[in-house]
Amino acid sequence: MKPENENSGVSRREFIRRAGATGALIAGAAAAGYVLWQPKHFVPGFEAQKGLSLKSYALEPAKLLPTMAIAHGAEHDKTIRAALGALGGMGRFIKNGDVVMIKPNVAFDRPPALAATTHPEALRAVAKLCFEAGAAKVVIADNPINSPTGCFLKSGLTAVADELNLDLLYPEANAFAPLEINGEILRHWTFFKSPFKRATKVIGLAPCKDHNLCHSSMTMKNWYGLLGGRRNQFHQHIHSIVSDFALMMKPTLVILDGINVLMHNGPTGGRLSDVKPMNTIVAGTDMVAVDSYGYANLLERDLAELTYIHKAHDRGLGNKNWKDAFYKEVPA
Amino acid sequence: MAATAENKTPPRNRSQFIRTHIPRTEQFAAMLCILLLAGIGLVIWQKGKNFDPHLYALHPDALKSTAEAVAGKTATIRGEAAQARGVVQTATTATTTTLDGYGEASAAAKPAAKGEPLLMTLAGIKPMGDTEFYNADTLYEKINGRAPAYLGFNFQSLRCRAFEVVGTGGSYVDVYEYYFDTPVNAFGMFALERDPQGAALDFAPDGYSGAMGYFFRQGAVYVQIIASDMKEKTIATAKSIAHVRAKALPADDTGLAARRRLPATGLDPASVQFTAENALGQEFLKNVFQATYNFGGKKLPFLVMVAAPDEAVAAWKAWSEFSGKFGGTITPLPDAGGAKIFQAENSGSWRVIFVRDGTLGGVFDAPDAAKAREFVQQYLEGKIP
Repeated sequence: MKPENENSGVSRREFIRRAGATGALIAGAAAAGYVLWQPKHFVPGFEAQKGLSLKSYALEPAKLLPTMAIAHGAEHDKTIRAALGALGGMGRFIKNGDVVMIKPNVAFDRPPALAATTHPEALRAVAKLCFEAGAAKVVIADNPINSPTGCFLKSGLTAVADELNLDLLYPEANAFAPLEINGEILRHWTFFKSPFKRATKVIGLAPCKDHNLCHSSMTMKNWYGLLGGRRNQFHQHIHSIVSDFALMMKPTLVILDGINVLMHNGPTGGRLSDVKPMNTIVAGTDMVAVDSYGYANLLERDLAELTYIHKAHDRGLGNKNWKDAFYKEVPA
Repeated sequence: MAATAENKTPPRNRSQFIRTHIPRTEQFAAMLCILLLAGIGLVIWQKGKNFDPHLYALHPDALKSTAEAVAGKTATIRGEAAQARGVVQTATTATTTTLDGYGEASAAAKPAAKGEPLLMTLAGIKPMGDTEFYNADTLYEKINGRAPAYLGFNFQSLRCRAFEVVGTGGSYVDVYEYYFDTPVNAFGMFALERDPQGAALDFAPDGYSGAMGYFFRQGAVYVQIIASDMKEKTIATAKSIAHVRAKALPADDTGLAARRRLPATGLDPASVQFTAENALGQEFLKNVFQATYNFGGKKLPFLVMVAAPDEAVAAWKAWSEFSGKFGGTITPLPDAGGAKIFQAENSGSWRVIFVRDGTLGGVFDAPDAAKAREFVQQYLEGKIP
C-alpha cells in the first residue's frame, strides 16, 4: 500500500509551494484592500474633499452708506439706477478696470414677460452701470439645466450680451472644477469656475419668484445656477442647500428684480396671470436681508415659513431682520 | 474499508501528465494578461481617487444614446447664434462633458424618452429645432424645481418643440405636451396650474386661453402652447397650433365621471380641482373632485368622490368619526333623496357630507351651516342641475 500523499499526486514540497502561493495571494489582497479602504462611507458630493475655494468678492462695510436700497418704479433702467444711487452709486462697488461677473437667473427657456428668468432690461441696466463705473469687462454666465444657449436666447439675454458686447460664457466642457464649500449639507460640489477666472467683482441679478420646492427663488437661490452635476439631488435638502449658497458665495452686490414678480406656479410659470407687477428693485450687500424683504413685501408671504432664510440668519450669513439694517427706500 | 480506498486510487499503468516545458509564447501571453490586469487595476484605483459624481452615477445606456439625446436638447438653439458665439454642442463634446464629470449633466446626461416628433403642417411657422423628449427621470432637466408637482400626478413623458413665427423678427411659440398615466391625472395637473382668469376654449372642454398662451387637457395629455410675446401674429399662431393639437390628440375622459356629478349651477369653472390621494388631508378621500359654488351669495366649497358603494360608505363613516375628534361636534341629519347625511362643526367651520350609491360628497369649510345644509339637500333632490 502506497502512502496517502502519493495517492493524491501531491508531494509535500508541492503542497508547501501551493499553500505559500495561496497565502501570499490572500496577504496581497488584504494589503491592497487596506490601502484602498475608505474609513468613512463615501457619498459623492456630501463628503469633505479637497477642492478650490471661492474667494470673497464682498467689499468692506461702509458705515456711512446703506447696505440695502429699495427703489420703486416700473422701468428697469430708472429703478435700478435709483436703487444703486441710494447705495452710493455703482462706483462704490465697481472701480476702473474691474472685470465684473454678473450672474443672472437663466434657468429656463422662457420669454422675459413670464418673469421666470432675469429680465433683459435688468441686465442691460446693470451692465451699463458697470461700464459707466469703469468696468473693463462684463461677463455673464449661468448653468441652466436645460439647453444653455436656448435659455439665454429665449430669455432675451443673448441679444443684450450682443448689443453691449458682454462676454457670455456657456457651461462648456472643462468649465467646471470641484469647489470646497463645507456647508451644512453641501460639503463640495462641481462648480462653474470659468466665469471667475478673471472676475474681480461679482453681482447677482435675480428675478423674484415663487418656487415649488423652497417657496421662493431670489438672490440666494440664484447661485444654484453655478453648480454642475445632478442637481436634482438637492431637492431633498433644498433649504439647507440654499442656505449653503450664502456661505459659498460672498458677492459684491446682489440685485433683486421685483418689477414683475412670478407669484404662482414657480419656478417655471408659464402664464402671464402668474405674474404681478410689484414695481420694485431691491439692491444690497446682504442677500439674506434683500431676500427677506423680497419674500415679505414682493411675494407677499409670511417670512416665518421661509426656512432657508432662517438657517442662513442663524448661521450668521446675513440678517433676516432687514429693517434693522441701514437701508434707504426711494422712488425711481 | 481498505478495498474502498483502493478503488479510489488511479490505475497504476496510467502515466501522470506533467508539463516540463512552457512555450515562450504562452509565457509571454500569460505575462501580458497579468500586466493588463495590473494596468486595469491601476487605472480604476487612479480614477477612484478623483471625485466624479457621474462616474459613480453613470447610466450605461447614456453612452449609447448620448448623441441622439443631445440632438434633441439643442432644439431651442439657433444654429447661427450658437456658432457665432463659438459654442460647440456636438454629440462628441457632450459625451466628453458627461464623462469628465464636471460638465452639466443635463447637457447630455440621461437618454431622453424617445417618441414621435412633434410635427406641424401649419403655414407661417417653422421648427426652431428638433423635438425634445423627457421622461419622469429627466423631467427636472427641463423644468427643474417644478418637476415634483408633475410627478405627483404620475407624469409619464414630455414632448416639446419650439416653432418660429415666420416674419415676426424672432417671435416663437413653445409647444409642451405633458403625458400622464390617466386623463384624470392630466386633469389634476391642469387644474392645479389653471389661471382663474383664463377664458374658456370652445375646442377643448378643459382648457383656457391667457394673455400669452393656450392651456388645455385632451385625454391624458396636458398641453401648453406658450407665445414668446403678445404680438397679434404670435398669438394668432399660438391659437392655430392649439386648434391643431386639440384635434390631433384623442379625446378620453376615462375616470372623469365624478366631475360630471359636480353641478353646473353656481359653479366657478376655474375652481375645479382633482386630488388623487389624501384629499383634504384624509387618506380615505381618493380621486376627489372639488369646486367652489356661489350659492345664495355665499361661496361654498363642494366635493364629490365616486367609488365602490362599500368604499364610499366606509369613507363616509371614517370622515364622520374624524369629524368628532379634536373638539368637533357631529349631528346626524335626516336622510334626503336616499342619502345618509351628517353635519359637523369644528372651530366655526361647517361640513355637511352625504353618501349615496357609491357617491360621497358634500360641502366643507363652510362658514354658514344653514347654507351648507340647504345646498346639499337641494343637490340630492336634483334641484341644483
